[in-house]
Amino acid sequence: MNSVNESAKEARARVGFDQVTVVIGMEVHVQLATQSKLFCSCSTQFGAPPNTQTCEVCTGMPGSLPVINNQALQLAIKTGLALNCEIARSTKWDRKNYFYPDLPKGYQISQFDKPICGKGYLDIADANGAFEPRRVRLERAHLEEDAGKSIHDESSRGGNSKIDLNRTGTPLLEIVTKPDMRSAAEARAFLTELKLILVYIGVSDCNMQQGSLRCDGNINLHIEFGGQTIATPIVEIKNLNSFRAAERSLTYEARRQFDLWQQCGLTIDDSPKQTRGWNDAQQVTTMQREKEESADYRYFPDPDLIAVSTSEEEIAAIEEQIDRLPAIWREHLSEVYNLKPYDADVIVSQGRGLVDYFREVADQCGDSRIASNWIGQEVLRYLNESGLEIDRYPVAPRQMAELLKRVVSNQLEQTRAKEVLNEMVASQLSVAAAIEKLGIKAVDHDELKSICQQLIDEHPEVAKQIQDGNIKAVGRLVGKARKLNPNANPGLVKDMILKFLGI
Amino acid sequence: MSEFIDRAVVEQVARLARIHLSEQQLDASSKQLGEILNYVGQLERVTLPDDVEPFFGAIESVNAIRADEVNSSVDRDSILSNAPDSDGEFYSVPPVF
Amino acid sequence: MEISNLGASELVSHLSAGHLTAVDCIQYFLQRIEQTNQSLNAFVNISDTALQRAREIDARRASGKPVGPLAGLPIAVKDGICTSGLKTTAGSKMLEQFVPPYDATIVRRLIDADGIVIGKTNMDEFAMGSSTEHSHFGAVKNPWSLDRVPGGSSGGSAACVAADMSPVAIGSDTGGSIRQPASFCGITGLKPTYGRVSRYGLIAFASSLDQIGPMTRTAKDSALILSVIAGHDVKDSTSAKNDVPDFTRSLEKPLTGVRIGICREHFDEGLDPEVESCVREATKVLESLGAATCEIHLPHTPYAVATYYVVAPCEASSNLARYDGVRYTYRAAATDLEQMYCQTRAAGFGDEVKQRIMLGTYALSSGYYDAFYLKASRVRRMIKHDYDQAFGEVDLILGPTSPTTAFSIGEHSHNPLAMYLADIYTVSANLAGVPAISIPAGISASGLPIGLQLQARSFDEGALLQAAHQFQSVTGWHATKPPLYQGPQT
Repeated sequence: MNSVNESAKEARARVGFDQVTVVIGMEVHVQLATQSKLFCSCSTQFGAPPNTQTCEVCTGMPGSLPVINNQALQLAIKTGLALNCEIARSTKWDRKNYFYPDLPKGYQISQFDKPICGKGYLDIADANGAFEPRRVRLERAHLEEDAGKSIHDESSRGGNSKIDLNRTGTPLLEIVTKPDMRSAAEARAFLTELKLILVYIGVSDCNMQQGSLRCDGNINLHIEFGGQTIATPIVEIKNLNSFRAAERSLTYEARRQFDLWQQCGLTIDDSPKQTRGWNDAQQVTTMQREKEESADYRYFPDPDLIAVSTSEEEIAAIEEQIDRLPAIWREHLSEVYNLKPYDADVIVSQGRGLVDYFREVADQCGDSRIASNWIGQEVLRYLNESGLEIDRYPVAPRQMAELLKRVVSNQLEQTRAKEVLNEMVASQLSVAAAIEKLGIKAVDHDELKSICQQLIDEHPEVAKQIQDGNIKAVGRLVGKARKLNPNANPGLVKDMILKFLGI
Repeated sequence: MSEFIDRAVVEQVARLARIHLSEQQLDASSKQLGEILNYVGQLERVTLPDDVEPFFGAIESVNAIRADEVNSSVDRDSILSNAPDSDGEFYSVPPVF
Repeated sequence: MEISNLGASELVSHLSAGHLTAVDCIQYFLQRIEQTNQSLNAFVNISDTALQRAREIDARRASGKPVGPLAGLPIAVKDGICTSGLKTTAGSKMLEQFVPPYDATIVRRLIDADGIVIGKTNMDEFAMGSSTEHSHFGAVKNPWSLDRVPGGSSGGSAACVAADMSPVAIGSDTGGSIRQPASFCGITGLKPTYGRVSRYGLIAFASSLDQIGPMTRTAKDSALILSVIAGHDVKDSTSAKNDVPDFTRSLEKPLTGVRIGICREHFDEGLDPEVESCVREATKVLESLGAATCEIHLPHTPYAVATYYVVAPCEASSNLARYDGVRYTYRAAATDLEQMYCQTRAAGFGDEVKQRIMLGTYALSSGYYDAFYLKASRVRRMIKHDYDQAFGEVDLILGPTSPTTAFSIGEHSHNPLAMYLADIYTVSANLAGVPAISIPAGISASGLPIGLQLQARSFDEGALLQAAHQFQSVTGWHATKPPLYQGPQT
């Protein structure tokens, strides 16, 4: 008996990780950007003092009743349309019953069998080709109310927990995928693209620090072993508070499940679904609980609410509000502006504001490549460092275009142009004013000639090297030219020196 | 004893409902629930055509919705004054463990 | 003026004509409560602002400013309906200290009409019961016989009107909780169509069945109150948008041509012969007023009680989950969260409530949902269908309100099922959502009132009130008072 087990274990040990298919599905909770809560008129504003944004409805006081916020429905439908979902013409509300102190009614109003958004999909790809493009199918997206916040005593002295119900009743859309992702990188790409879409269509601010976007991952492995496919027990990883945490935890968990399988051989039939948490400090997942049989939510239709029906006209009207989605913009930037997929992605993934900024600059300066390079590097660096969004960037598109026009026409060389841009940013100056302030003016042909002659004369050894074929050595002279006159255009200097040296 | 329920199920239901029942109450509850379930269990024997949809609510209307407008919330003191334990800012509850 | 002989409509007329001040009116009833409540236990809380309100209304009227249609009229409100700043307990230890920060919509409407909430009436805990024995604040006694129950769950409301402690009370009816106590106490009680009256502020028992309604001496008085409290409420998604007529206007229309169906299934075994003969007599009275009667069938009636005792506990098990010791309830001492939940709910709820929560939790839980909740909801569809069919042939359905007169206190305490079966004639109206009224139609040999129930099409409360008023125009049962509480003799 023992030897049989031993040999099975040895056989498992011979399986390589490359014989494993990682299977991942995601559940994403998105707070919808409404002014008021899902079922009452309390504010959804983040950060108010505890328990100052509640009323009899969202604290579940006896006798209070919910009334659905129309805007939450509209935003949910808009999301569904952007995610290619079937939109329910009739949707209803159900109660999910469980006890927790930050769930005031003892049930959460949710949607069980008639979600507002049905099956849909989201296409993901990696601009660097790290994985094959994939269509992630969506199972559903349903509306529900958020719970409040529990603040537990972390001192381990067993102090009371504090409950803040400000968040209670904030509208959430729970988006559930099919188990269609095959790696942690794909999961991250899915989350990134999803967030991008949600922000593009303006249904959520997706601020993860404030909890506007929260995700859980479901993962297990399919392993080719002994001529059949074996599935490992499904694990749900809860509360992934960043996309990086999502990717790392799923990577970790895939490996952990594989190691565990090699050790014990447990399959999906041997073990119920388990919930684990991601420990960011130690970079491991830890066991939270097995989904015990008592997690019986006793869903049933909420008798306090009535069905909502949505007409074709209403859906069409919402569809009209949806502008181009990120994927369309990528295509547009590639085709119309001739950008490489990677460059297009850099701009599109920064949000709609940067796309518009780019288009304006590119249209006005006439060179989309230059515009893309400058925005992708200079502008993004500034935004990253300052933490600002493009709408707060100090240089207006028209000014940026002015600057780049001079670069394109060689009136201003790159390094000097960057200095000009820095000045424009720092002092909020126009291009002309910044150039003036920096004392930049064109160097006339005769002066340039004399500078070049002087350099050749003062550095005969470099001139010799160049004449001997080390063309690159010209860079050293070009550098020195800038010291003689900072306005000397390096390109012109280089060409002229080479010409003087007969090359 | 009922065909629908036994003491173990009663215990499980009491747990789901978060109601502590003493041993004696468990016995009494098993008996009474059993009798009631035996009575309502007659519904199982009602034969209905397959196309009979459930009727969950006594109003079959649609679309009671409100506009997304913020109204002032209820004053915190007045809300928390009903709480059995609060520090004036938060509700306070015993720890999970 | 002898206030005790006046119903709500007459009081309002006299108040309006200046024959009576609101202060005198309120003082009279406060005094009646003072004299009587100790023996009946109908009120759990008396408003300490009622007199002040009466003074304000008198002053307003004296200065010629407009007043509302109920100006100065005292109204007792069941304690399961929220009153801002006035303790609202639903008869439960769980809510012993609960002071709502808001008014129920109907309370707001009554106050806006210048009615005066005089106090809160006792009830079965969370409206679960048919006897008002299951209140944390003690049983209510029937004014006709102190060893009898007043019916329930709106027993306090019924008893206070019968005993002349208030001309009007507001009740709520989930499976007969207005009509059965009205029947047991010899008053008029109306359960409106589901959706007719806002439930906002009514502490939920079973949300798809609960409905608020008036309990008064006469149908005319119920018409007056219903006209004030009915109508769409934006805070209640299930409230109907149907127009609300002035129900007092159609009362005098003769019954000629009105078709009344006698429900065959309401005269099966279990019906007290005395109740039956009384209902048969009442039928003849209605015929003499011009109504045409015929026999009709509601074939799924035998399953109504079973359906009700699945649907109502299921909804209740969820509605009552909020009583968890965190925000506004009693809390039992505990060292951890689970213990707090389990001990709070064990000690805060009475036995009947716990029983129904258990029943509902079971019937919704995994593995039993289809056989119980879903099946009951499908049978409910058939019960509704029965009514649709019947109302194709008749305008009203007539029968007894309850199979018996008021039973003795403690009679069913060891047999909840027997008590449940007493709801057999009333639960169907809640399941189908149709309106129904109970009116006094006789007195038994042992001196207890007998009630007649009329049911109508959805939103046709007008027809109920018309028939009830016509009946009361030629009979005197509604004016008969319990011998113990006939009011001061003059």
